[in-house]
Amino acid sequence: MSRGTLVYAAQRLVLITVTAVVVSSIVFIGIHQLPGNALASERRNNPATEAALLHHYNLDLPWPQQYVLWVQGLAHGDMGESLVNMGVQITPLLLREARVSVTLGLAAVLITIGVGLTLGTIAAIRQNTWVDYVASTSAVVGYSVPSFVWAFLLILLTVSGFYAWTGGLVYENIGWGKIEQIPVPALALGLPYAAIVARLTRASMLEVIRQDYVRTAWAKGLKARVVILRHSLRNALIPVISILGPLVTGIITGSVVIEYIFGIPGLGQEFVSSILSRDYNIVIGVFTFYAVLIGLANLAVDLIYPVLDPRIRY
Amino acid sequence: MAAVPSTVEASQEFLISELPEQSSLGQDAWRRLKRNRLAVVGLVIIAIFFVTALISIVWTPYPTWRQALGTTYAGPSLLHPLGLDDYGRDILSRVMGGAAIALGVGVGASFLASLTGIILGMLAGFFKGKVDALISLTINIFYGVPDLLVALILVVLIGRGLFNIILAIALTGWLGMARLVRGQTLSIREREYVEAARTIGTPNLMILSRHILPNALGPIIVQATYLVPAAIIFEAFLSLLGLGIPPPSPSWGRMASEGYKALQIAPHIVLAPCAALSLTVLAFNWLGDGLRDAIDPRMRR
Amino acid sequence: MRAVDGISFDVDRGEIVGVVGESGSGKTMTALSLLRLVPEPGKITGRILYGENDVLEMTDDEIREFRGNEVAMIFQDPMTSMNPVLRVGFQIEEAMAAHRRFTGQQARDRVVPMLQRVRIPAAKERIKDFPHQFSGGMRQRAMIAMGVSNEPSLLIADEPTTALDVTVQASIIELLRDISRELRAAVILITHNMALVASLCNRVIVMYAGRIVEQGPTRAIFKNPQHPYTWSLLRSMPRMDEVGKERLVSIRGVPPDLGKLPTGCKFHPRCRFKVDRCLTEEPPLAEVDPEQLARCWVLMKNVPNPEMQS
Ligand code: SF4
Repeated sequence: MSRGTLVYAAQRLVLITVTAVVVSSIVFIGIHQLPGNALASERRNNPATEAALLHHYNLDLPWPQQYVLWVQGLAHGDMGESLVNMGVQITPLLLREARVSVTLGLAAVLITIGVGLTLGTIAAIRQNTWVDYVASTSAVVGYSVPSFVWAFLLILLTVSGFYAWTGGLVYENIGWGKIEQIPVPALALGLPYAAIVARLTRASMLEVIRQDYVRTAWAKGLKARVVILRHSLRNALIPVISILGPLVTGIITGSVVIEYIFGIPGLGQEFVSSILSRDYNIVIGVFTFYAVLIGLANLAVDLIYPVLDPRIRY
Repeated sequence: MAAVPSTVEASQEFLISELPEQSSLGQDAWRRLKRNRLAVVGLVIIAIFFVTALISIVWTPYPTWRQALGTTYAGPSLLHPLGLDDYGRDILSRVMGGAAIALGVGVGASFLASLTGIILGMLAGFFKGKVDALISLTINIFYGVPDLLVALILVVLIGRGLFNIILAIALTGWLGMARLVRGQTLSIREREYVEAARTIGTPNLMILSRHILPNALGPIIVQATYLVPAAIIFEAFLSLLGLGIPPPSPSWGRMASEGYKALQIAPHIVLAPCAALSLTVLAFNWLGDGLRDAIDPRMRR
Repeated sequence: MRAVDGISFDVDRGEIVGVVGESGSGKTMTALSLLRLVPEPGKITGRILYGENDVLEMTDDEIREFRGNEVAMIFQDPMTSMNPVLRVGFQIEEAMAAHRRFTGQQARDRVVPMLQRVRIPAAKERIKDFPHQFSGGMRQRAMIAMGVSNEPSLLIADEPTTALDVTVQASIIELLRDISRELRAAVILITHNMALVASLCNRVIVMYAGRIVEQGPTRAIFKNPQHPYTWSLLRSMPRMDEVGKERLVSIRGVPPDLGKLPTGCKFHPRCRFKVDRCLTEEPPLAEVDPEQLARCWVLMKNVPNPEMQS
């Protein structure tokens, strides 16, 4: 990694921090204009308790002051306390959940890229044959079927399917905690995007295999495998990489739904339950986490570019 | 010696055939679209769903909300072709009603997002400078945040009515359109006829509406078409998470979510709305692909 | 549509044969078909004989061993002919490693000498560079190094200088000539530049509409072109003694559309010397001199005062 790249990465990290603070501030201010929060139900019980609670969460202060306190906390990595479960510190909670979400997300990204590149490459080198036709059509179908539909189909297939086929030997329920429980949700999450990657790869490959340098590679007498992998796919990857950014955002979006369906204790699940129970401290926290995750993912993508394409320098 | 065709003649012929025929551009695209089998199939499927949606507003086999029409979880039968759900409601009726919501949200959100994106994109691309900087910054910040979360918060903030849902989806969906229109505007405004119009003092609004918008229309239509299925999926996400249009409205996402707990014993409850949803989205994507190829044949690969 | 039809010629070791003609006359297609590299949707039918072997009958492994090893090719545009994401040295090494002539270690060791041989300064350092860090001339040198690295029997250079800056063209030509002598390889130089042919080639083959219309020793062809097309090509060539007041006389009419070739002699729509027979019968490639062949019913030697006719 060159010096320029390091400087670039450092600048981007600063930018990510700024974005995270800005985004969470917007959410903070937006949410504090709302009437009511998780504590509202306490009001009926006892005015004294309520006052004590409000004080505990600094909610008795005017919101600009609350904001300053909150930013101060954030600077120390402290996102405050859950409004619903008093005493639960948000930062360690979300860090734990982020580990789960990132594991799931990475598995999904791997599936996306693996399946997408393979299908796209095969379709391109077999252009206008039935293989291409099947691959291209299934790509459109693939991304037209949303992740949660894939989830239902895969659950039907694996949970009861495997149980029936193996005569009750294999029974793997959905959930989280065991390695065997990762592939199915990751597949559901990754398949729609795999289809998009496949489509892009095919188009990009078709462009590349007509290039002069690929003709040179054939003329050198290289093996077909070498021409396709080293001289075509590698170059074809460069435009494909550019969708990894939106793809990561998409996978995060999808993971909210997938975590909900599979009962996976990740950030997405936390977000949904917090927003329903109006635990706004957690909502803001998850938002901040996601902004950072997306920023880091985009940074990673930008750092892959110069590795694939030496013409790009930062 | 007999005369041979000279280069001059030939090149004149070449020029004539290369002259753009503005008027028939739309017809041309339409002809190409009609030749695209998948696009036509998509169009037919969309038409069927639209008619179904319209019918469902005045008539469905059973009221979509009526419960206990028979045994709960009952599979498909003659009386109930798609079976009954966990409350004994007729699934076919609810899938029909869901079509109205899906298409309403899809088309409505696509329209609203497109309008926002077109206006902001044209402003950014045409005036450049500070306006562009501000709009582009907004776009970039929004891109750094998962749109579903923003929509979820918005729905909590403004409530879960049909229009609010459309609004929440549109508010996160305009980014792509704005980017596209901005790029188009930036390139079109440099063309000679725009320069010419500007030198003779044509008002900006006129330049935007007479020259820039019509020339960017092709890609805009394609993008707007793709926005419809995206919005439909989005609505399904919201409903699935319990933050969509409130019950008893029969949203496909909600139906799937309600049927989920009985997925193993009565998969038809989940599969029926999922199939309808996927088919609609697929049809719109086919149409969008067809439109893209028809409007800009060069993009075809 | 036929791009190429019934081409046949010999090249000896150490000899440079020029193949000339306007663009679209099938020069490049001939070369590509010899390596079975005709781009989709092109198809080669019939036979392509290289010595005794039919290139079309070779198995995938045989053709792979043939390409780059027996016959190597240098392409027109060095800017696009090298893979932009792989190091120059590696691309040359890979050309050698693909064949059995050298072991992997030998291939690696030969990269620097090869680059030195094509006169790339500081070759040791430059093998680590990527193509975009090379100038156009340097890239073409590297392409030549790649082409000759396996010491092929036949080297095909397709317009090797057209895409280059005028200032470096001469040095590339010189390099090609020296390399072909050193390696004693047969070289086919595809070009539309008659001046280049005059300075480099021992023999010339003139192509029109996918056919050979004239062939023979360079001197003979330049002195006594027999086919009207060759004659016009030479006439349109800017003369050395007239540099400065460059008169670019292009041949009148347009190059033939390979989709709808005329009957008879394919050149007749553009020929000023045609006779009735030219419209119906295609002339054979016939001997006009012991070493010179031409495909014409009339032949320039039978035209008195050609300049006056028009
Ligand atoms: S055969 Fe006739 S038409 Fe053809 S080149 Fe000779 S003179 Fe011209």
